[in-house]
Amino acid sequence: MSDDTIVARRPEALLQRRRAEAAGWLFVSPAVLLFLIFVAGPFVFAIVLAFLKWDLLTQPEFVGLANFEQLFSDPELPQVLWNTFVFAFASIVTHLVFGLLLALGVNNLISRSIGYFARVAIFFPFLISWAAVSLLWKYVLDPTFGYVGQYAAMFGIELPNFLADPAWALPAIIFIDLWHTLGFTFIIMLAGLQTVPSELLEAARTDGATAWQIFWNVTLPLMSPTLFFATIITFIGAFQIFDPIQIITKGGPQGSTTTIIMYLYEKGFQAFDMGYAAAVALLVFVIIMGVTLLQFIGRRRWVHES
Amino acid sequence: MHKRMKGLAKAAAGVAAAALLMTGCTPGGDGGGGATGSPDSGELSFVYMGDADQQKAFNALFAEFNKEYPDIKLKAVGIPSGNWATFSTTVATRLAGGQKIDIIQVATEGQRLFASKGILEDLAPYIEQDQDVVDDYWADINPNLQKFNEEFASGPDGETVFIPGGFNTMAMYLNKPVFEKAGVAIPEDGNWTWDEFVAAGKQIKEKTGAYLTGAGSGYFVDVMPWLTTNGASTFNADWSEPTYNSDAAVESAEFARSLVEMGLAPKPGGQFDGNTAFKQGKLATLNGGRWPVLGIRDMEMVDQTVVVNWPTQTENGSPVGWDAWNITKNSENKQAAWTFIKFLMSQEAGEYFAQIGGTIVPARESVANSAAFTDNAPEGTVRLSEAMSFATPIPSIDQGAEAQKAIEEAWATIVAGQGEAQKTLDAAQAELESLVGE
Repeated sequence: MSDDTIVARRPEALLQRRRAEAAGWLFVSPAVLLFLIFVAGPFVFAIVLAFLKWDLLTQPEFVGLANFEQLFSDPELPQVLWNTFVFAFASIVTHLVFGLLLALGVNNLISRSIGYFARVAIFFPFLISWAAVSLLWKYVLDPTFGYVGQYAAMFGIELPNFLADPAWALPAIIFIDLWHTLGFTFIIMLAGLQTVPSELLEAARTDGATAWQIFWNVTLPLMSPTLFFATIITFIGAFQIFDPIQIITKGGPQGSTTTIIMYLYEKGFQAFDMGYAAAVALLVFVIIMGVTLLQFIGRRRWVHES
Repeated sequence: MHKRMKGLAKAAAGVAAAALLMTGCTPGGDGGGGATGSPDSGELSFVYMGDADQQKAFNALFAEFNKEYPDIKLKAVGIPSGNWATFSTTVATRLAGGQKIDIIQVATEGQRLFASKGILEDLAPYIEQDQDVVDDYWADINPNLQKFNEEFASGPDGETVFIPGGFNTMAMYLNKPVFEKAGVAIPEDGNWTWDEFVAAGKQIKEKTGAYLTGAGSGYFVDVMPWLTTNGASTFNADWSEPTYNSDAAVESAEFARSLVEMGLAPKPGGQFDGNTAFKQGKLATLNGGRWPVLGIRDMEMVDQTVVVNWPTQTENGSPVGWDAWNITKNSENKQAAWTFIKFLMSQEAGEYFAQIGGTIVPARESVANSAAFTDNAPEGTVRLSEAMSFATPIPSIDQGAEAQKAIEEAWATIVAGQGEAQKTLDAAQAELESLVGE
């Protein structure tokens, strides 16, 4: 090949590479654009807002770090964070335990048709909108007309007023959330279970391992990446819980169900304090990022990677 | 820095600049003045609160307006926000987002907030240019309505920024078949006391098993009626100080709780469907202003319902909230907006709106007392209009949504039996004091 040919080909290769790059950018541009508009843009806007005092109706005013200082002196915030962490912790534990148990049960069903039915039945509540689920449970738990109370009364049991009693409202919301979203965790767990190689289970059985030993020493370690994934997404989802609380209790009774996103909404869209609401939003971001990082750091101790 | 990182940094800087630009584009601005447009043409954006049912009536009203003014293109946006605090927030958010709104129909709960922000046009020049029209309107509405509008909904310098429209007071809709079955007489003059109310409830419970009333904690529909009929309120007369833990307020809350304890009201804490219970004869009274009429018509119970005043302990009482119209400072068609407001003030519009199912009491007394309002409505409907003479404007401070939350939460706690009345109202009072002090 002559030198002339090489020189002629170089710009052509460069052009081709640039074309390929441009095509790549074109392919990803819708996603990048959506990311910029709905994620990066609002995120930057939230950071800017956190340094302002703005009521939506009048000109914003620069207040420096005042909104961040308020985070440390706000008397309501500790209770709100406590409610949120309690909800998130309870959500993780209940979703993982019941999701895994259901997945194990369905995975071991002998009848295929019953298995399919069980999958649909367990997943189905997840398809219903939060608005419908919330109203449904408001009816079900109504202390006078709700059927839970009526059936309990038939057996002489007097149930607490779940949604009006500060001691019971948060547990009630945790239960409603579990009923609604367990199907999603269940499907993840089921998918995870089906990735466990059957020859390992068979080998354990041949070696005389009991069902518990197989579960504890084979299934669970191989399920650990799935459990890790479920833990992370359950925490992130739980920490941002809003819809059922807004519809069912509006944060009451006596603030017992006010979670951080509910509080953010109240500060921004009821108290018209957009700057402080943005500071709360950044706090949420920092907490979620921090906890997720901790989970990633801790995964080496218990997640079976091979 | 890597080339791509530089690109990303540039993009982020662009977004930040856009964000900063957005923060500079608030609706408040210096506004005002500028082109006022033609009174007979232009594009108008009118925002009001209304669910799907109410929007049907509004749309019919707008169609009627367009018959007269075909060149004014009216873009009406109904916001089904459920309460006025949420409505105010939604409108504020839309304004902040740069949406052009010419007229906002605001109820009492949001009027002071909008008036105080300096975003509304002074209506004095418009009133002056059509003084005869406005005088005719003032002459036909309850003087209290005009007075309340001046006292509670003026601009920062006392200017008129709202024209008051229809209003709602609170009354009770009695289920005649339930009362008859229980052998309880319906108060002929529409007045009864708390004691008579309880006595009626006990008899109804015993003879029919029906509940006497609901046990809600809505600020307008539950809290204020029990307070005002006992000479109390959440705030003093000029809303400068909360009075939510006064002896009378505590007595009112304890009375509302006692209705649940006596089994005359269902326990709160769920989803009680009052309309269905009313239809099935399981509920003796529905509480409300004009709005329950739509449901009563749907249930075909107009002839089986009577409207009476709220039972009293010391005096007749009711909260009142009213709609009001304004022109925003950034409107580019102020004259057309004024034309629409004049239409809303007219007798024809009032009658038409009342006939087609408006959920408010017409501001014009001539309409409120006419067949347009009282036909196809329960007996005693005029009491809603008459209640304006003894009604108390629903106290609505600038931090209205937060105040409402504190008030309703405290009431809900007491009515659900989760807190002692005095202690709970003391805590709510402290919260309201801190809001007023902000």
